[in-house]
Amino acid sequence: MTFLQPLMLAALPLVSLPLIIHLINQRRFQTVQWAAMMFLLSARAMSRGYSRLRNWLIMAMRMLAVAAVIFAIGRPLSRGWLALAGGARPDTAIVVLDRSPSMQQRSAAAADTKLETGRRQLVESLATLGASRCVLITDPAVKPLELAGPAALADLPAAGPAAVPADLPLLLQSAYDYVKENAAGSTEIWICSDQRSNDWAPENGAWGGIRDAFAKLPQQVRFQLLSFREPAEGNVAVRVTDTKLEKRGELRGLVVTVAATRQEDGERVVLPVTFEIGGVASTVQLELTGREAVLKNHVIPLDRAAGSRGWGKVSIPADANIADNEFFFVFDEPVARKTVVVAEDPAARRWLTLLAEIPPEKDQRSAAEAVAPDAFVTTPLTETALVLWQGPLPAGRDAEALTAFLDRGGQVVFFPPDVPTETTFAGLTWRSWANHPQPVKPVSWRTDQDLLSNTLAGGALPVGEVQVFRSCEFTGDHVPLASLPGAAPLLARVADAAGGVYVCTTTPNGRDSALASEGVVLYAIVQRAIDRGAGMLGKSRQLDAGPAAEVLTAKGVDWTRLAGPADALSTEIGRHAGVFAADDRLVAVNRPAEEDAGRIAADDRIDGLFRDLSYTRLTGTAGSTDSLVQEIWRAFLIAMVLALIAEGLLCLPKSAGAERSPFEGLRPVEAAA
Amino acid sequence: MITDRQPRSFLEPAVLSRLAGVPLLARKSMVGNVSGRHTSPHRGSSVEFAEYRKYVPGDDLRRLDWRAFGRSDRFYVKEYEADTNLRLCFVLDTSGSMNFSAEGRLSKIDYARRICAALGYLASQQGDAVGISCVADGIVKTLPPRRSPAHLRLAFDILEEAKPAGPTRLPEVLHELAETIRQRALVVIVSDLFVDPAVLASSFGHLRFRHHDVAVFHLLDPLEIGFKFQRPTRFLDMEGGGSIFADPVDIADRYHQAVNRYLEAMKKVALESGIDYGRVLTDESYEQVLARFLVGRAAGSGLR
Repeated sequence: MTFLQPLMLAALPLVSLPLIIHLINQRRFQTVQWAAMMFLLSARAMSRGYSRLRNWLIMAMRMLAVAAVIFAIGRPLSRGWLALAGGARPDTAIVVLDRSPSMQQRSAAAADTKLETGRRQLVESLATLGASRCVLITDPAVKPLELAGPAALADLPAAGPAAVPADLPLLLQSAYDYVKENAAGSTEIWICSDQRSNDWAPENGAWGGIRDAFAKLPQQVRFQLLSFREPAEGNVAVRVTDTKLEKRGELRGLVVTVAATRQEDGERVVLPVTFEIGGVASTVQLELTGREAVLKNHVIPLDRAAGSRGWGKVSIPADANIADNEFFFVFDEPVARKTVVVAEDPAARRWLTLLAEIPPEKDQRSAAEAVAPDAFVTTPLTETALVLWQGPLPAGRDAEALTAFLDRGGQVVFFPPDVPTETTFAGLTWRSWANHPQPVKPVSWRTDQDLLSNTLAGGALPVGEVQVFRSCEFTGDHVPLASLPGAAPLLARVADAAGGVYVCTTTPNGRDSALASEGVVLYAIVQRAIDRGAGMLGKSRQLDAGPAAEVLTAKGVDWTRLAGPADALSTEIGRHAGVFAADDRLVAVNRPAEEDAGRIAADDRIDGLFRDLSYTRLTGTAGSTDSLVQEIWRAFLIAMVLALIAEGLLCLPKSAGAERSPFEGLRPVEAAA
Repeated sequence: MITDRQPRSFLEPAVLSRLAGVPLLARKSMVGNVSGRHTSPHRGSSVEFAEYRKYVPGDDLRRLDWRAFGRSDRFYVKEYEADTNLRLCFVLDTSGSMNFSAEGRLSKIDYARRICAALGYLASQQGDAVGISCVADGIVKTLPPRRSPAHLRLAFDILEEAKPAGPTRLPEVLHELAETIRQRALVVIVSDLFVDPAVLASSFGHLRFRHHDVAVFHLLDPLEIGFKFQRPTRFLDMEGGGSIFADPVDIADRYHQAVNRYLEAMKKVALESGIDYGRVLTDESYEQVLARFLVGRAAGSGLR
């Protein structure tokens, strides 16, 4: 508990006043001659029981009343009723703000969103607490922002709504780094969030490290979670899952698949879904009965005069959360899925070329070109999505060409050469082959993301069936995607490479592995890499807000916003939904899909993340006008009045009957005989 | 008529004259040596016919019923009830506790003096013998019952000189008196009875066994019952015991509990012993107390 007049607490010893008065009273006794000593002796021999308890209670009530008056004069501050056991004024207040789209939810009765309510409450609370330094952390990639004062939080664009999910583990890691670097004194970290599990990722292994790190800090760090966990009643999110240009003779149309989702089952709703392309709007009714409704392959005719590239917007009427009521999309002619295979081993070359040539869908076009290692530098890579490289790592001009390709967003998968060399590329160096006496199979692989993730149907790739006879070791920073026994990687992504650089530690040659004969895994690797490359190289791209949209902040390219919130900062270009154009490229940025599906994490799950730390969870409501921190001297005055009333009641004689009973039947002289 | 030259503080003529209308009667038959107002276990010469008895040689021929002889040819003697006087013995508790008074009320000993004096006077007026025993740790002073007015004066002197002091050993003293009072008597005990009721029960039983009619005036001061003190108090024992320090707020409940328990026990003892027991608070007029006592006895008198 914090006090605005803490000096008044110096009067707390006055609490003992009733006790002192009692002791003085004990000393002011009278002496009387007494006849009925036998009753006094009997009374003293009886158990004091309730009488003693009552005396203690009376004394406690008197002391409580005095204490309540002193506390009330000290002007205590409450941080919500749950946080009465808090501490004193902090030196530094760090605000960790969840700006994700779900924080823009409103309650039915209020105009303010969760984010606005949270910001206002934080401003009031921090102003009342009077922390000497206020720091705002909203994005792990951005340096913590030191605020001039709590009031700055109210109108700071950097604290406004965004389309990026909040990565709470990373945000708290940033907070930890800040506390450690700046050696802040007692620190209070205010986290304002709606407890979405996609933002918090409670299963993330990083939480343990963060918790330990904070626990080891010498200074006192308190966590205050301002939780807006109320669910969004009747909120529907709309999303474009697929766009495809279609030509039928002279007519062109855009085939769009739209999904409308909601968190809970509800009543049947007919949603008017509005498509807006080039200023022309059209509306389609979509019936939503369960949790999801899909408008599949809806054809929107396109103007003949318009080019084949363009952008549009899908929207539904405003509901509890307006941030997920619209979705931007771009469309373009499909990109050729071209692969260049550089392989010194003919068998590997043959297999890789074959797998790259087979398109995953019948109306897609795939092409693969096998080139010799020495002819690579002369091969044009402008329309290439993927390079499959089996041989010594590129050096010299080959390396330059490949780096330029990677910078454009191309993907490359390296396979080991027959004879490893000392060449290094992107921090990667092949070492030596390791022969396995018995064929080994991968024991673990990443099923949640990247090249080996589960299929759309949810099934796992049969990675565990692939037999590896020998594998080549390598050095360099990497993220393993599949590991052989003994933690040696089979497939890995090189960390910090501009584009996607992958390493496979064996080749499709039957001598090295069964990757070719168990072709499904290698085919998935190649086609998914092509998909990523094609997506990056196409002139129209659909990006998730956040790290994926960082290409928009690349230097040398001036992106123009065609659609999206007008008040968004240009420095935060990748963090807001919208459509952006530069040269002949178009990019649509939207909230990630997990934002629509994100569940609210259970309170105990979140509380468990902060166990052993000083932590309090305050529950807020969107649109609430209550302050988190408020003066509560009235409560203490009420407590004093209640204590005095209780004291008065305890001091009353037990009952009128008990008072009369000793005289009962005394007046008449009773005839006993 | 008694002529007492000395003014007695405990004698109020107005009260005595009002009480004189109600006789003091024994509840049991008394064995007296002169004629009086109380029933006797023996046949006598009153006007109240009792029974016929067969003539035996030696009987007074004047009491032979000639009419009965004429009808039945048998000799019968007519017998009449005998009325006699009683022996009234006061047992006055003069232990230290009887000196207690509070809030300007009469002390218990003064109250007791008034009761004894009034009853003694009334008894003497109707020809009964009056005696008194002052008791505390033992029998402090005793005066056997006599009928003469001069003897009553002596009794009043004893009453006047009685000084409350020392502890109470009432049960033992009652046992002693039960043995020493020679004939059936009306024993009136005036005391605060600050002894264990169970112990007292045996003393009462002893008195009853000796055919005494026992009446008890149980004197209590209202403060002893109500225990209304505001400040912490050191209580000094008036019978010479130690002192007790107590906070009345703290102990009052249990004190009342102890008093209730004691009074209940005393009532039970009185009922079981068949004594004429009455609780008297000293803030009540003793005239009313005596009037109730006398009227109550008149209603239950005449048993033989």
